[in-house]
Amino acid sequence: MIHSLFLINCSGDIFLEKHWKSVVSQSVCDYFFEAQEKAADVENVPPVISTPHHYLISIYRDKLFFVSVIQTEVPPLFVIEFLHRVADTFQDYFGECSEAAIKDNVVIVYELLEEMLDNGFPLATESNILKELIKPPTILRSVVNSITGSSNVGDTLPTGQLSNIPWRRAGVKYTNNEAYFDVVEEIDAIIDKSGSTVFAEIQGVIDACIKLSGMPDLSLSFMNPRLLDDVSFHPCIRFKRWESERVLSFIPPDGNFRLISYRVSSQNLVAIPVYVKHSISFKENSSCGRFDITIGPKQNMGKTIEGITVTVHMPKVVLNMNLTPTQGSYTFDPVTKVLTWDVGKITPQKLPSLKGLVNLQSGAPKPEENPSLNIQFKIQQLAISGLKVNRLDMYGEKYKPFKGVKYITKAGKFQVRT
Amino acid sequence: MPYLGSEDVVKELKKALCNPHIQADRLRYRSVIQRVIRHMTQGVDMSGVFMEMVKASATVDIVQKKLVYLYMCTYAPLKPDLALLAINTLCKDCSDPNPMVRGLALRSMCSLRMPGVQEYIQQPILNGLRDKASYVRRVAVLGCAKMHNLHGDSEVDGALVNELYSLLRDQDPIVVVNCLRSLEEILKQEGGVVINKPIAHHLLNRMSKLDQWGQAEVLNFLLRYQPRSEEELFDILNLLDSFLKSSSPGVVMGATKLFLILARKFPHVQTDVLMQVKGPLLAACSSESRELCFAALCHVRQILRSLPGHFSGHYKKFFCSYSEPHYIKLQKVEVLCELVNDENVQQVLEELRGYCTDVSADFAQAAVFAIGGIARTYTDQCVQILTELLGLRQEHITTAVVQTFRDLVWLCPQCTEAVCQALPGCEENIQDSEGKQALIWLLGVHGKRIPNAPYVLEDFIENVKSETFPAVKMELLTAVQRLFLSRPAECQDMLGRLLHYCIEEEKDMAVRDRGLFYYRLLLAGINEVKQILCSPKSDPSLRLLEDQAERPVNSWALDFNTLVPVYGKARWATISKCQGVEHHGPELPNTTAFPTSGPLIPEENKERVQELPDSGALMLIPNHQLTAECFEKTWLSLKVAHQQAFPWQGAVHPDNLQMALQVVNIQTIAMSRAGTKPWKAYLSAQDDTGRLFLTELLLEPANVQMQISVKQSEAGTETLKSFISVLETVIGTLGDIKS
Repeated sequence: MIHSLFLINCSGDIFLEKHWKSVVSQSVCDYFFEAQEKAADVENVPPVISTPHHYLISIYRDKLFFVSVIQTEVPPLFVIEFLHRVADTFQDYFGECSEAAIKDNVVIVYELLEEMLDNGFPLATESNILKELIKPPTILRSVVNSITGSSNVGDTLPTGQLSNIPWRRAGVKYTNNEAYFDVVEEIDAIIDKSGSTVFAEIQGVIDACIKLSGMPDLSLSFMNPRLLDDVSFHPCIRFKRWESERVLSFIPPDGNFRLISYRVSSQNLVAIPVYVKHSISFKENSSCGRFDITIGPKQNMGKTIEGITVTVHMPKVVLNMNLTPTQGSYTFDPVTKVLTWDVGKITPQKLPSLKGLVNLQSGAPKPEENPSLNIQFKIQQLAISGLKVNRLDMYGEKYKPFKGVKYITKAGKFQVRT
Repeated sequence: MPYLGSEDVVKELKKALCNPHIQADRLRYRSVIQRVIRHMTQGVDMSGVFMEMVKASATVDIVQKKLVYLYMCTYAPLKPDLALLAINTLCKDCSDPNPMVRGLALRSMCSLRMPGVQEYIQQPILNGLRDKASYVRRVAVLGCAKMHNLHGDSEVDGALVNELYSLLRDQDPIVVVNCLRSLEEILKQEGGVVINKPIAHHLLNRMSKLDQWGQAEVLNFLLRYQPRSEEELFDILNLLDSFLKSSSPGVVMGATKLFLILARKFPHVQTDVLMQVKGPLLAACSSESRELCFAALCHVRQILRSLPGHFSGHYKKFFCSYSEPHYIKLQKVEVLCELVNDENVQQVLEELRGYCTDVSADFAQAAVFAIGGIARTYTDQCVQILTELLGLRQEHITTAVVQTFRDLVWLCPQCTEAVCQALPGCEENIQDSEGKQALIWLLGVHGKRIPNAPYVLEDFIENVKSETFPAVKMELLTAVQRLFLSRPAECQDMLGRLLHYCIEEEKDMAVRDRGLFYYRLLLAGINEVKQILCSPKSDPSLRLLEDQAERPVNSWALDFNTLVPVYGKARWATISKCQGVEHHGPELPNTTAFPTSGPLIPEENKERVQELPDSGALMLIPNHQLTAECFEKTWLSLKVAHQQAFPWQGAVHPDNLQMALQVVNIQTIAMSRAGTKPWKAYLSAQDDTGRLFLTELLLEPANVQMQISVKQSEAGTETLKSFISVLETVIGTLGDIKS
């Protein structure tokens, strides 16, 4: 299925390759470089490239390209998903998925790739099973290893491989039994010039961190399960229970995993927590323009909005910007023309604003379109859709676990047009 | 990067590896080995220390073992004689008490990729298949496929295949999936692993125990199973229901495809399934991973082709946001185009209007063309927007708008008036060839209603000497000629000048010939010119219908969740074809040896063709007749048995081809007229056993290849091969004559 994998950095160096079947020459990547050149921007390289003898399916993550070589007809989503899983695993093991991290841990990377794929087919990809096969490097462990000479490879096979439930290993034991759930919602929205919503949608996930001994059987119920439009489940969830009772019933994997992901898309349910007042204008035949934006809270359910960042791609004719923020700090990169304003949090008494002058290239025609503002923010202790966990029950084990639910709302692709 | 001094590095490491002090110190020994591996991954040739590394593999340290195995797999093909030494150690490790060591050793052994290793690995693999640790069984099962590949795909070991089939009942889910994968590779020649009823049901029952990759692949294998009864079919569908809600898009798509294929006779079930996966698909379309978005969008487009209104309620999901990569934006615009209905047309057009001023010229043009596409249904609104866009006086926008206008005027003649009013002034903002051609064409055909048309054309004629594109000159000739017919007084002089230039000074032959042609035509008299240039145009509705006709779901169900929606069928066929030739090249008879000039079917060639039936198994019967309806029905019910592309130069002469095919007893069912693009033909033939061969010939405009797809009423590799060689002879002969 997957013949070979090449890791390529932004400047076009192939810094790692792995072949699961016969060796495919590096020259196959020339087709990829060709496409990269054509695309001008690294972000725009198409994910599927055909060459006379192969297909190249690639993903772009953290400034790295994972390019896989395919020789037979395959489901493209399958391969893309798998490549993301590889990148996720690196992230998980090394804390970041960067060229430096991969080069530093090249031996572990090879070990991982060897276990994740055999003869081109995905094998072990679950993080908790992999970690038993190959222990992740930590500073502490590498020190200990160098003293005691012990290895970072498990000497035994993962016990999970023998349990009846493929996603959970047998004989798990914890002294503190804990189950945590993070309800994370991201708002994707497009707001038009006049402040009305063009499109808004909530993408939510519930991530779980379960450290429970034995074989616990959990059921999680919600105050308002009907909110969830469209849900995808972790394989552990009993689908029929959800269909009939709207309860999530499952034997959890051990450790961190994504329990469900869902969407709320009916527009009247999607609250927009911030508003932006803006006036950006460029004068005809003059070398300057005005820039003035103010951010304020809207439907924020009484919670503080924090971690606000505004990013604006200014038009090419903008040379520089002289702005004054009432709070936070701003930077403008005259090369990429990107303005970033790190706002912090909103205090309703004094709304943050950023205003000042824009210097334009003299003689150039004024830009036809005003730039869009991309906004990032975070609200703690709130799921903007109103989703609430009602209760968590555990069956099958006797002890009392410690339970916790955290809510957080973030901006996804939140864009304000001006 | 130590590329240059690599010899010193090898020497130094070799010394270190041999040093008994280092060998005694586990840690130092391992770190030296790690250095070797690091150099190896950086592309330094480390094969010089092979012997030392083999020695290092005899250790209890499992990490060190792993590293050495990795090294051996990389360099074994370069040093086969030395690698044989390593096999001893590996064989010993295959019976280690630790299952992890057994598995690792077996996997490394199977990956050595060097000739002669088969005889050593056979026994360990067979032992591995019966190992009590599932980890080892997984490795051993895949090892079977690797071993088979080493054998050079020759014979299939029946006992091994049986063993693998029985391992499908293994306890471990990954062993089960690996068995399928392995069997598929081993039995490639025979059409892959066979899924009968017990296997299918067994797999269905194990589905929930598999990981997502296994599920996706098993769903794919289950496509081969044909339920016996309707009841069984619906039982299966019920079992699979929950996979449509899986969190992995790959599994959702796999399940959808299986549903579509199994329910091919129940259109309402298919529609229902597509309704159900709407949610997951939309979620994938806004996934964090842009690559997933892209693949999902391609599939959305495919579904829309059959169910045009399917995503209309969610049209806002397909609005582009600023930061998305290009390829996603382009897909979204295409999708938006197909989602338009009476309710959302206003919003969609406003959105597209916004894209037209995007910084990226390509994307802006795509948006303009999209508006042009919508204009076929909502003409007035769109033409108004397009006219406004002209006011921006931007080069790339103007040229796209004018091209859209040209197509629109042809497809929706009612908007001609509006377009004619919008045109004056455009000429100042058009620089590229395509835009100029479109503008000149419009001025020529509708010049009557554009007051300044002659003057614009005159400007073009003034600058014709500096014009770089011959196509523009050709268009200009035709346009001025046309305008001359409707406004003779204003055009006579400049037509004369243009003809003079084209005939006397122009260097491009085609333009010159065209000039001469018009000149001679004018000599024949003005009425003749009128008759030829202003005769009724072709019926515009024809193309439109062909393009937009709804396709039944079954026409693409097989391509769902493959690369076809991403890249298009034709492209994929070419690629698989190339591979086919690579692997099976020598098997196809080489026909290039046939004479390539002289009469249409040279005498000796004819004999050759006639001889074929005696030598091969194929005998095509003469006077075989198949009606068009019958052909169509059979064609649709069969799968493509073979696809291939033959080199072809220039246009097709249908009469010659038909005659040539007649000679070899191939009947022509239907054929495009000469010069049509793309050019197509459907052929049929029957052999003496009653087997039908149905063939499609396809010549894409920009291609220098004739694409053929052959379907057979009964399978048979030998006869198919002979039939294709006959076809290749005919096409090869005709194609070469043209060049």
